[in-house]
Amino acid sequence: MSARGPFGNRLVIAALVVPGAAVLVFVLVVPLAFSVYYSLTDWAGFGDYQRIGIANYREILTDDPVFWRSLRNAVVLIVVTIFVQNPIAFAVAAILSHVSARLSRVLRTIYFIPAALSLVIVAKLWVDIFNPNFGILNKVLIAVGLKALAISWLSNPHTALGAVIWIIVWQGFGWALLFFYAGLMTVPRDIIEAARIDGASVFQTYTRVIIPYLAPVISAVIVIDVISSMKQMELIYLSTGGGPGQLTQFIGVYLYQKAFVAGEYGYGNALSVVFVVVAVGLTVIVQRVLRAVPRDEG
Amino acid sequence: MKITAFVLLAFAVLLAQPAAAQPKVAIKLGDNLPDRSNTWGAVVEQINAEFKAANPGAELVTESYPDQPYQQKIKIYATAKQLPDVFKFWSFTSLLKPLVNGGFIEPLNPSDFDKLDYLTGALESNVYNGKLYGIPVSADLWVIYYNKKLFKDAGIEAPPATIDELIATAAKLKAKGIVPMVTDGKDAWPLCVTFDQLAWRISGDATLPRKALARTARFTDPVFVQAAKELVRMIKAGLFQDDLMVSDYGAARNLFGQGRAAMYLMGSWELGLGADKTFSAEFRSNVDAFKFPLVAGGKGKVDDLFAWYGGNYVVSASSKNKALAVKYLQFYARRFPALAWEKQAALPAQKVAARPGDTAVAKTLLRIVAEAKATSGTPSLDLSSPRFKDDIENAMRELASGLISAEEFTQKIDVAADKASRR
Amino acid sequence: MLRPGLGSRLLHAGLLLFALSQLFPLLWVFIYSIQKSGDLFGPELIKLPAEPQWSNYARAWSDGRILRYGWNSVLVVTASTAASTALSFGMAYAIARLRWRLKAFALTAITLGMVVPVHTTLLPNFIWFGWFGLVDTRIGLVIPYVAFTLPINTLIYVGQLHHLPESIEEAALIDGASWPRILWSVVLPLATPATVTVAVLTFLTNWNEFIMANTYLATDDLRTLPFSIIRFQGQYASDYAAQFACMVIVALPPLALYLACSHRIMAGATAGAVKG
Repeated sequence: MSARGPFGNRLVIAALVVPGAAVLVFVLVVPLAFSVYYSLTDWAGFGDYQRIGIANYREILTDDPVFWRSLRNAVVLIVVTIFVQNPIAFAVAAILSHVSARLSRVLRTIYFIPAALSLVIVAKLWVDIFNPNFGILNKVLIAVGLKALAISWLSNPHTALGAVIWIIVWQGFGWALLFFYAGLMTVPRDIIEAARIDGASVFQTYTRVIIPYLAPVISAVIVIDVISSMKQMELIYLSTGGGPGQLTQFIGVYLYQKAFVAGEYGYGNALSVVFVVVAVGLTVIVQRVLRAVPRDEG
Repeated sequence: MKITAFVLLAFAVLLAQPAAAQPKVAIKLGDNLPDRSNTWGAVVEQINAEFKAANPGAELVTESYPDQPYQQKIKIYATAKQLPDVFKFWSFTSLLKPLVNGGFIEPLNPSDFDKLDYLTGALESNVYNGKLYGIPVSADLWVIYYNKKLFKDAGIEAPPATIDELIATAAKLKAKGIVPMVTDGKDAWPLCVTFDQLAWRISGDATLPRKALARTARFTDPVFVQAAKELVRMIKAGLFQDDLMVSDYGAARNLFGQGRAAMYLMGSWELGLGADKTFSAEFRSNVDAFKFPLVAGGKGKVDDLFAWYGGNYVVSASSKNKALAVKYLQFYARRFPALAWEKQAALPAQKVAARPGDTAVAKTLLRIVAEAKATSGTPSLDLSSPRFKDDIENAMRELASGLISAEEFTQKIDVAADKASRR
Repeated sequence: MLRPGLGSRLLHAGLLLFALSQLFPLLWVFIYSIQKSGDLFGPELIKLPAEPQWSNYARAWSDGRILRYGWNSVLVVTASTAASTALSFGMAYAIARLRWRLKAFALTAITLGMVVPVHTTLLPNFIWFGWFGLVDTRIGLVIPYVAFTLPINTLIYVGQLHHLPESIEEAALIDGASWPRILWSVVLPLATPATVTVAVLTFLTNWNEFIMANTYLATDDLRTLPFSIIRFQGQYASDYAAQFACMVIVALPPLALYLACSHRIMAGATAGAVKG
């Protein structure tokens, strides 16, 4: 045993880390290198091209309003996810941990259904619901006398982003529920008992004991939320396509359209590189912030 | 433990069989027709079967994907030098020209495709740098389909002959709770094609978009501004479905087929509407088509037919079986018109005779083709680079959503044309 | 258990109402799947068809090659889920509980792995994998499936492995247990909730995955389940009803898996569940 102690055993660490790292390198490093290379060209995806230096990057940062709008939309989505979807999911997970085991299991499966359906179904369903003439949302609004609100939710410039964000958050709810419920299952009974003995109410037990204990899980969920919000692609592509007029554009869709539809593979790759840098930067910041939040070791 | 056992078994199977053993492949085919039991896909299957019977020893393997994944895969194959020997592709400048420029497509000998009764302009759309690079298979006309019964219900006597009349029908149809006209608004190209069509109706000159792209004219010229204004007028008059911009192809088509919309602005590939069993018998017996209306005061004529040749087949330049590939193409060209017409799968790019059992709409389309005095060729959105297509589609979405004016629209696409011409 | 009373009854009612709303999408897909294609996308949100078109399912099954594609999906997704779970567990354990200098860097690098958009990897990997003969093979699909799910799985495990008291491993080490034994018999059972989460997430992600399968596979016999839906797509219009029938068939295995596994979420945590 080395002086590092068993928890510093190099062989064990290597055995645990190297296989996974190898897979990541094999699949991701080569494309990333290619991305950087192509981002410095005007390649269309096949055929000839010319190297154009950082022209693509200059255009993205100074002359591309769609890029900045995509970033802004992602930030809105992140805020809604962290401050609306997650608390609700956590509350439901908490409630489910208090009902009978069988009911909990049945309900958890049912609540998970939207998350298990393919994104194609989710997108088609909500496009249907939001349909201004035939959709159930407007039919209900008209029935209760709110005819003025029965608008074209996905094509109206004022509501399109909200509608798209709603679809994304709705679909992700099942996942948040799963993560939080799994987390709640790891909370040791003794610290809850201790709180109860100290006279804490249910609410206080949650806010002073359970949530602080679950800080690592919550942090992980937040980081995952940030990254997947930035990467959102299919639901937007299948519902609004980024419209109306690029108002609901997200980077994942935009770079796909540029690289594969508009034949601007070089530009699309530059977008991809910028995206990776921004996403990693944002994640590092979020992780620092979360670590700075004081938490109880319980 | 059972899970572990299953997992290990899965890995064993995966590692033991690298890929399905492939027979000796003579020709690899590629197309964007994944559905092999209906319409065009079924026609190709039949052609393939007949070809194999006539050429014993020839093997055909087909890869099919939907449009977007198909275009991506072809590009990847081109770069990886693994293109199929023969594949279906568009003749559009925006799609075929880059492949031609990259040297990926084999030029064809026009005399190999003689005496096949091609419609005017069909072969020309595949000519680049003076050489023939593909053969056209289907003709695409831009028309308006309509439901005769719904017209009668709303008191509309005859199909509208001008845009003004077309807009006037909107009020009558809406009064009866019928959506006047539907089209695929989510994919902006139908509106872009309509824009070109309107410009032609106004100017009487189908070459103007080409000139604008070559920069001898400008998209900001009055003709195009007026065309954009006409389009906006049609949308603002409530002529289209309310959710036009999120309505995709299938949704629009079904609205028409379910008898909830009176008109359908689309291309001739929908000739099968009259025979589509997923719609009611009442619809099928009432569907017909009419020529795109005139613009009041415009120089265009009603028999100026907006038509292009979208379905084409090309041969890969790196194919190891070029002789057999060309033979396949010739066989395809000989058999396709009759088979496609019989299955109502497509309007062939070659002349076909009407059959007694043809539906009304099919007969009308043949008539429109026969009466055409001039054709347009490829629409402007596909006459330039892919970037231009993306730009004009985005601008069209903004115009149709009411986010920009007609003047701003034409300015945007003119800037895009300028950029494209400089590459 | 909740105390009985009006509050509890209201809560249960609310939960049930919510459950109905979550069941709705499945109901919607199912009803669409037994209609005629031409009747879809109409004005009624739910329209019970006059005659259920069960033939859609027959067509979906045969023309959609469900059996063949389904088998490929089972192989590929099971293998990639198992591999991804195992590898991510290992990495997460090393990051969360072992001491080494590159720990923080590893976590950032893994986060980077999560950020790379799939589309930009398709063309380079098509060529790069081709050098190893991995294109148009199923094992060649497993590797990127593992790679793209590894980062998020690792993050989930890291979140849950943090809190285990060090005494757990120490006790086993004193007893002379080897590391493999410690990880397998001691730590892994405690991380069962995370394992269930990771397995379900990976399975579902890869089960519905289309774009990589579409790019890397060419031979029809090797294709996976999402492609069955594509087989009904025409150049313009498609056989929508059959597509919906396919979607129902494809959606069932993951749901069944989730139902079977979700009770195991409660197993493992020695300190027991948060049940009052």
